[in-house]
Amino acid sequence: MSRSSELTRVRLPATVALHARPAGAFVRAAASFAATIEVQANGRRANAKSILEILALGADGGTELAISASGDDAAEAVADLVSLVAGLS
Amino acid sequence: MAFDIVECPTMTSSNGDGFVGLVLVSHSAAIASGLAELVAQVAGPDVPIMTAGGGPGGTLGTDGGRVLAALRTVDGPGAVVLADLGSSLLSVRAALAELDPTEAERIVLVDAPLVEGAIAAGVAASTGASLADVAGAAEEARGVPKL
Repeated sequence: MSRSSELTRVRLPATVALHARPAGAFVRAAASFAATIEVQANGRRANAKSILEILALGADGGTELAISASGDDAAEAVADLVSLVAGLS
Repeated sequence: MAFDIVECPTMTSSNGDGFVGLVLVSHSAAIASGLAELVAQVAGPDVPIMTAGGGPGGTLGTDGGRVLAALRTVDGPGAVVLADLGSSLLSVRAALAELDPTEAERIVLVDAPLVEGAIAAGVAASTGASLADVAGAAEEARGVPKL
């Protein structure tokens, strides 16, 4: 049981922006967890379950994302999203 | 009021009563079909999308018959309707009045910006969200800053 997670940093692959299809995949994955999940990038914060907030991060390829979460499945959520981001292509 | 039923393009086929669908109504067929393409890219191929863009004969405008056909034929357990401006909304309201109660209960017209609302609704639908939650996601788009 993890109520809140450490903030975990992960870099987008150099050639993949968090736009369009990758952003949709990210939000769909985030929505499968009960935890509240936040992403920080480029000095902005976004609710990981909001596609419009994620798109507004303007996170291009190579951008570092900081992902944190709170809730019962917070640790699993962050681990899953970090792995998703690292594996985007 | 009588409408002609016309064939509507659909961007996706769906798995029947899987995901909630979208109906996109615009004065321009190009806006409606381009937006459907964009939503499909972000939300994935499983969200049913119907478009009703442009007036009769390919003009800019709205075509009540095309709107009604889209509302009647969109796949999924329900569908959210997004429209661009003024008379598009009037066309949707007129078409909704033509539906029988069982058809009407699966359709929700939302007050949302067309592009942002469609993207938010499409992604929500792709998570398996309910009709009410998909409509809510579209309407939340009104309050999300772009800058």
